[in-house]
Amino acid sequence: MSAPLPDESFTLTINGQQTQARQGERVLGVAGRLGIEIPTLCEDSRLDPVGCCRMCLVEVGGQRRLQPACTWRAEAGQDVTTESPRIERHRKLLLEMYLADAPPVTDPHPLTPLNEISRLAEAHGALDRFPAACSEREGREDANPYIGFDPELCISCARCVRYCDEVEAVSAITLAGRGAGTTIATAGQIGLLDSTCELCGGCIDTCPTGAMHEKKPLAHTRTDSEVSTVRTTCNFCGVGCQLDIKVQDGRVVQIDSPPAGETLNDGNLCVKGRFAYDFIHHEDRLKTPLVRGADGNLREASWEEALKRAAEGLLGVKERHGADALGFVSSSRCTGEENYLVQKLARAAFGTNNCHSCAAT
Amino acid sequence: MLPKGAQRDRVLKVVHDTSQEEVERVSRETGVPAADVYGAASFYTLISQPDAGARVCQGLSCRMAGSQELFADYLERGEPAIYASCIGQCDRAPAVLSPKMAVVSQRSAGAVSAANPELPMNLGGSDSLDYSALARSRELGGEGVLAALDASGLQGRGGAGFPAGRKWRAVLGETETERYVICNADEAEPGTFKDREVMLRRPHLLLEGLAICAETIGAKEVYLYIRGEFQEPIARLKAALAEVADGPLAGLNYHFVEGHGAYICGEETALLEAMEGRRGMPRIKPPYPTQEGFRGKPTVINNVETLACVPPIVLRGGEWFKGLGRTEAGTKLYCISGHVETPGVYELPLGVSLDELVAVAGGYVGEPVAFSPGGASSGFLPISERERALDFASLSEVGSMLGSAGVVVLNETFDLAEAACSQAIFFEDESCGQCAPCRIGTRLVHQALKGYLETRDPNALEHIEDLAWEMEEGSICGLGMVAALPLTSAIKHFPAAFSGGGQA
Repeated sequence: MSAPLPDESFTLTINGQQTQARQGERVLGVAGRLGIEIPTLCEDSRLDPVGCCRMCLVEVGGQRRLQPACTWRAEAGQDVTTESPRIERHRKLLLEMYLADAPPVTDPHPLTPLNEISRLAEAHGALDRFPAACSEREGREDANPYIGFDPELCISCARCVRYCDEVEAVSAITLAGRGAGTTIATAGQIGLLDSTCELCGGCIDTCPTGAMHEKKPLAHTRTDSEVSTVRTTCNFCGVGCQLDIKVQDGRVVQIDSPPAGETLNDGNLCVKGRFAYDFIHHEDRLKTPLVRGADGNLREASWEEALKRAAEGLLGVKERHGADALGFVSSSRCTGEENYLVQKLARAAFGTNNCHSCAAT
Repeated sequence: MLPKGAQRDRVLKVVHDTSQEEVERVSRETGVPAADVYGAASFYTLISQPDAGARVCQGLSCRMAGSQELFADYLERGEPAIYASCIGQCDRAPAVLSPKMAVVSQRSAGAVSAANPELPMNLGGSDSLDYSALARSRELGGEGVLAALDASGLQGRGGAGFPAGRKWRAVLGETETERYVICNADEAEPGTFKDREVMLRRPHLLLEGLAICAETIGAKEVYLYIRGEFQEPIARLKAALAEVADGPLAGLNYHFVEGHGAYICGEETALLEAMEGRRGMPRIKPPYPTQEGFRGKPTVINNVETLACVPPIVLRGGEWFKGLGRTEAGTKLYCISGHVETPGVYELPLGVSLDELVAVAGGYVGEPVAFSPGGASSGFLPISERERALDFASLSEVGSMLGSAGVVVLNETFDLAEAACSQAIFFEDESCGQCAPCRIGTRLVHQALKGYLETRDPNALEHIEDLAWEMEEGSICGLGMVAALPLTSAIKHFPAAFSGGGQA
């Protein structure tokens, strides 16, 4: 008998229901298709499963020990149970241990992402009844303006570390230390700005407890008024990443990625998309065209006047020095259609091939 | 020419400390991201605390022999010192490792059974260079060797007691032909020092066992992972290898990998992670090392003693070996320390009782009260079990285990709560931190015991049953599963020691 081909499906049983699965699929995913919810903490669809948070343990027929649904491969004829007194006791006690180790903030900021430990503890009736496990986890001084890390809230699930490695291929952070002192660190605890970090903020996005957090909004947002979310497209480049913009009193206070799996950017953003939003409400931001008067000072102008002035200037250069004295550089923020028009302007209107887009580099 | 790509498995070999300059240097040299180098290096105590001074053993036997006073002496003299987890010198407790990794103790070590050619290990006898078992294994062929192993009933001597031949057969059954043999010499279970004596006294027996294993499973590369605290055994083995590398062992490549101070790397998948230059965090099984082991290839990982049993089994037959045991197959190297006259390593039929073992070790010191039969992981048993067979099955019947057969005897002078606390400290220090039940559980157990010892208030221990249950159910590996056992077994067998009345 040869091993079944990857696309051959087989039958297994989960909570008494027969269901189909394919070779290589994990129990967590198969159960998810049946609408069976298995709690997880260290799982992120973008990352290889590691089974370290122990939240998703289930009973697998023939196995003496509980097994992690995220890593356990579905097999033909397997009998999996995801709800039982044994599993429920395990979930409750595990959450109570997490509560002892990383007590959630009692009065969270409206922009603090939901602490998964609190949510699951409530769902499973876990109480904060064990003595606090006196954390000795090391944090670090870090002058970067965007990404903060609170070792007290960290549960060492390493989603941030694995994200940095597996999705971004940056490996700026690592699990460091050992045992109860395990923490998230950079090489030698240097600041992120001195590390290989690209400040994409994916560590914040994947963190289930808020240990990895965005510094800016927490410092600047008011806690007494509501925050709404607006889904939009990032215009920093042509990729088209979707953004969830958090708005408070008509002002952008934070930018988040939609959840992984929901949009084309799969929960990922870059440093510009996630953090570069201060310009929106900045007092120096250009809101109307400006032209320079004879006195050398800039004054507000209409679009018609401004464009006319630009055209005169460009044509003047062409007249005096030839068309190749001109060059046209378009922005990576332009769409493909806009970039096309820029080169058309260069070639057809001014007669030069000197055109480039910064998105080309 | 250097191989292309990151050389991750060189990281732990070349990194000396966790300073930023060193981490950057190793990152450049190996092509591994600096953060990964730091993460791996910071996991291992010999790297993260390179210049800590003397390492005073705080294993149970050393604690019973006064390691705390010894530690205080160092501080009083102004000599730098830190506590270390068991350094495998329980027979000369209290022991210290010097900054240069030399063992410092007032007592001499190395009592073993007297020479007797009828003993498979025969630690008291002389090591032989004739490698006749290797020659014999070639006559027998792979199936013949495996048949002898099966007939011998040899159970893995590292602690789990898994039938040795089964791992070899599993690797043989894999389609991948690049295979590895690894000797697990990361002996670090408190109370255990038998592999140390095998390496010191019978290095050729071990090298020969490895060769037989490699030839049987079709491997060319043989690795010895030895804890870095064992500098003397490492030197002895290297010298022995030099004697025969071009002779009987020609064609096989032996590699030495030193551990860097992490008990968990005795767990075979954590050992693989360490060999591959990573943090020693156990992998999720399956896949098992026999399927995807070192560098993802089929790998046999056997304990020192297990491998050293192989040559005599091949030479004299599986039935002969099996017949040497009493309740289970073969002889066993029992380590005994604590309150006995002559601590040491004694080779006795598997299944002797504590009384018989202690009789060989010169008798009890004081009035025995309790014993730990197989290292910290086996918990404590009352002395009323002194006639129970010290074997895998009989000890598991009473919720304990033979484990590595590191037997520690406690007399009436030592508080059971203190003893349990000593083991709790060990497991907290040595938890890898990967999974919450162990990382948080070992800390809470230690805190509870510390609280109890300070206040003698039994309420300090109120959550222990729940914690122990979850650690056993939820932990990834055996460390977390048994880490509460010293306390729960002590409470069960010695309730008076935990009822608030002070010393039991």
